[in-house]
Amino acid sequence: MMLEHILVLSAYLFSIGIYGLITSRNMVRALMYLELILNAVNINFVTFSDFFDSWQLKGNIFSIFVIAIAAAEAAIGSAIVSSIYNRKSTRINQSTLLNK
Amino acid sequence: MDLPGPIHDFLLVFLGSGLILGGLGVVLLTNPIYSAFSLGLVLVCISLFYILSNSHFVAAAQLLIYVGAINVLILFAVMFMNGSEYYKDFNLWTIGNGLTSLVCTSILVSLITTILDTSWYGIIWTTRSNQIIEQDLISNSQQIGIHLATDFFFPFEFISIILLVALIGAIAMARQ
Repeated sequence: MMLEHILVLSAYLFSIGIYGLITSRNMVRALMYLELILNAVNINFVTFSDFFDSWQLKGNIFSIFVIAIAAAEAAIGSAIVSSIYNRKSTRINQSTLLNK
Repeated sequence: MDLPGPIHDFLLVFLGSGLILGGLGVVLLTNPIYSAFSLGLVLVCISLFYILSNSHFVAAAQLLIYVGAINVLILFAVMFMNGSEYYKDFNLWTIGNGLTSLVCTSILVSLITTILDTSWYGIIWTTRSNQIIEQDLISNSQQIGIHLATDFFFPFEFISIILLVALIGAIAMARQ
């Protein structure tokens, strides 16, 4: 039962992340919900690697790569936010402001 | 972790309720600083989950990178916004919001029914019978180190290049 409880929790986080990502009008909030989605996927990977794969730990290694990619994407996302904000506001439907 | 049963269950319930409340807080709080701190609570709870699942290296990496770097970065980006912008991104309950919540609830319900219908213990039984039974003299972090250096060597080097390129791109973008 424990495996299923953890998977249900990660499904809950995933659906909250998708809801927030679609309905957020602000780009910084969209970044936050994207991190929620990636963390839900990471919980799944680590739980499966703990239950099924205690000898090779492939799920753990993949989740390390997901954490690294999420860090790179958060850095680029906040650079985009700061360069958009230098012109106007951070509403997401004004992303043509990046054009020169 | 090799904790006795009731303590393990109590910790799972505690962390799970922290996750549920934190997840609701990220969506429903209108002040973006509060929701960024609630995201930090979610990330710390997830890191404690990883400790309970015998994955100590990923727990430490999550705490250092996610809570210590990514959450702080998100807080910096949140503080760029003026105070007058806080009240512009109200979650006004439009028809799009309602439709999205319906779709997301249906995704959640279908995922939960799939999870509860799968026979996980059959899969555990077949995978455990295929693995060589040996003593685990190697700890979890050492095992990850061995695999990163031998089997997963190419993704490991490649991801360092990805991080370098991402940082150069972010600096080049933020300089203008």
